[in-house]
Amino acid sequence: MSLCGAMMKSSVEVNLLLLLVFTLCVKAMRYSPPEKPVLTRCRSPEKETFTCWWEPGSDGGLPTTYALFYRKENSETVYECPDYHTAGENSCFFNKNDTSIWVNYNITVVATNALGSTFSDPVDIDVVYIVKPNHPEKVTVTVMEDKGWPFLRVSWEPPHQADTRSGWITLIYELRVKLEGENEWEMHLAGQQKMFNIFSLRSGGTYLVQVRCKPDHGFWSEWSTTSYIKVPDYFHREKPMWVLITCFCAFIFLILTWLLHMNSQSLKHCILPPVPGPKIKGFDKQLLKNGKCDEIFSALVVPSFPPTAPPNCEDLLVEYLEVYVPEEQELIMEESKDLNDLCLKSGGCTSDNDSGRGSCDSHTLLMDKFREAKEKRKPREQGSGQAGTESQGNQRDWEEEGSSCAHEDMVSPSISSGRVKTWPCVFSPLPQYSSGRLEHKGSLERAKQHCHSDTLFPLGSTSSSLDQQGQHTKETLRPSNWEFGLSNKQPHLLHPHTRPQRQLQAHSDVNISSIGHKRELRGLHSPAPESTEYVEVQRVNEENMVLLQPVDSERGHMEDCSQVPLGEDYSRVNGVDRDNRLLLQREVTQGDRCFCGDRDMNGERTENCYSLSTATMTQKPRVCIHTAMPVQDNMVLGVTGYVDTSTASTLPSY
Amino acid sequence: MMAVIQRGVWALLLWPYLLTGSLPLDCREDHGSFSRCPSISQEKLLDRVIQHAELIYRVSEESCSLFEEMFVPFPLQLQRNQAGYACITKALPIPSSKNEIQMISDKWLLHSVLMLVQSWIEPLVYLQATLDRYDGAPDMLLNKTKWVSEKLISLEQGVVVLIQKDCGFTATTLSCKLRPASFGP
Repeated sequence: MSLCGAMMKSSVEVNLLLLLVFTLCVKAMRYSPPEKPVLTRCRSPEKETFTCWWEPGSDGGLPTTYALFYRKENSETVYECPDYHTAGENSCFFNKNDTSIWVNYNITVVATNALGSTFSDPVDIDVVYIVKPNHPEKVTVTVMEDKGWPFLRVSWEPPHQADTRSGWITLIYELRVKLEGENEWEMHLAGQQKMFNIFSLRSGGTYLVQVRCKPDHGFWSEWSTTSYIKVPDYFHREKPMWVLITCFCAFIFLILTWLLHMNSQSLKHCILPPVPGPKIKGFDKQLLKNGKCDEIFSALVVPSFPPTAPPNCEDLLVEYLEVYVPEEQELIMEESKDLNDLCLKSGGCTSDNDSGRGSCDSHTLLMDKFREAKEKRKPREQGSGQAGTESQGNQRDWEEEGSSCAHEDMVSPSISSGRVKTWPCVFSPLPQYSSGRLEHKGSLERAKQHCHSDTLFPLGSTSSSLDQQGQHTKETLRPSNWEFGLSNKQPHLLHPHTRPQRQLQAHSDVNISSIGHKRELRGLHSPAPESTEYVEVQRVNEENMVLLQPVDSERGHMEDCSQVPLGEDYSRVNGVDRDNRLLLQREVTQGDRCFCGDRDMNGERTENCYSLSTATMTQKPRVCIHTAMPVQDNMVLGVTGYVDTSTASTLPSY
Repeated sequence: MMAVIQRGVWALLLWPYLLTGSLPLDCREDHGSFSRCPSISQEKLLDRVIQHAELIYRVSEESCSLFEEMFVPFPLQLQRNQAGYACITKALPIPSSKNEIQMISDKWLLHSVLMLVQSWIEPLVYLQATLDRYDGAPDMLLNKTKWVSEKLISLEQGVVVLIQKDCGFTATTLSCKLRPASFGP
């Protein structure tokens, strides 16, 4: 019993041991059921059939079979793959009858071996979305030319299986190009067209072209087989351009060379300036060679330098005042002749051009006239004391009537409205008050005729003066006040039938000459007509005062009034105030009191009082000065201190 | 005993695979990979049906013109639009105008299409068989005719699937009930 029990026990143990050993042996032999296969992909080339491929796992050491099962959507029926061989190893091909685009497919692959079966993961498939067409076929590449520049034309056809003609499948194409030897492809999307052009080629290069396609919902096909194309050399077409460029450059070069050659001299001077040699103007080498030194040096002498002749001093001087001096006074003149002032010319004295006088300045002519008048005068003077009295009276009248201004007038231009020259007319002898009046007038007029052109009296004024003939028109202080003043004399001097012009002339002359009159007539009754009708500018003192001297004062007015000593009865221009008025300084050495009262008769005109007794008296005949010249500042007192009224062209402002 | 153990092991291994339906819950439409959707959506089906129909129409018109050029004498070609050549399917209750189409339901519309397609399948199959036996028939015409017939059959299948989806899915039977009475002016 125990033996059976022991044997039972041992058999169980043996079984267990055997079982263990068996399992161990099985494991040691490495047999296993197959590994799970994997469906790798399913593809449909034309949307009418499709194929599925799987990847088997390890077979476990035992022969394994694979089976594909599929199930259609909405159906529980499981079908097995109809075709395992058409598509190759581990594939399943579904033909047209089995393919439906309306339903999904649920596909499963089973691997079976001796030890077991293994199912793969199921896959759902929609045929429309797994379409991957074949690559395009019949890809052709040709080289074409476009205006001399080559380009590639690639054309192809769709895969024959894909039904693109009916529109069952719509394909889009893509191609890629690369140069032989390069790594980068150049991609081009061609759309639905079956032809494409490639430009910008490298001449002489070989190109590789490939095409592929894709349906609107699907996968890109494989690249077609590579097409090789060689681009011919077209670089030679660029050679003419280089030839042209070369010719152009050569042409430019030639031109530059020619220009350089033409301007070689000037360029040489620019770059290498010549060294200047010594040169003396006038130096003649030939003379030097001849050895005649005198000629050489004489040639060097410039004729204009140095100046050999001394300049004519007289020419440089400006004659400010030309006063005619009769022969009796010549000696005196010459004594007091001033360098810068007088051009006392008694005949033969030439008139210079820069004396500031106008056409009236024909000194010689006036000299002649003076002489003529003088000659007339002399007999008259000698002849008639009666005339003398008359003249005296006239002279007195003259004096009365603002001849005080006369000297100013003398100094000042007889300006009314226009330009007036007084200086030139000064020289003419005063008219005589006797019968010689006419003659005077004539002489005056004659003399004045020269001045007529220069004196620009407004006729209006003269007419007014004519209107007031015989009247004192002292009220009108118009430009020609002094004219009016003197116009009173006109009736005395001039006969009524005098013409205005002559009156004009006489005006100026009278005015001017009356200055001299005044001096002499200071005594009131010493009308020496033929004397003291002008004033001599004796000199100019340092105070820029023109010292005038009545020339014929020494002729003598044997009158009551004290004789005006010669050389003492003159007006001195003291200065010019800001109103362009000449301030005259009257220096009276001897009594001239006679004039005071008479002067007053003329009213404002003759304010200047020749109050005497004072050695020197400064007179400021305002009225007259009013009418006096509108002396310009710049010429009132010139360098030499005289007043050139001839250039006064403006009216005195009131 | 070993066999029993092996079967038991095998059963254990295979059991999960047999039982699991492996139906994914989400439906992803991936072009680059397998679709996980168990079924095609209705909109896509409709698009495909429409595309089908358009293609069939185009090809059939081409083949018809080609047929007329080859076989129909010239004087009779101009009578294409006459009444004699009216569509046979007039007997079928098919809506003929746009207004009528808008009045009927989608289901009825689909059924009309299905009937139309089914009615044309038999003639086309017959035509194709005849042309194959015809020696003088050009290949292009034969191909076109064959193509049209095949596509028509496919269209029928598509329409059927569409109707099934519209009406509700049943594995075996059409649950939709046709209601001709609903169609009317």
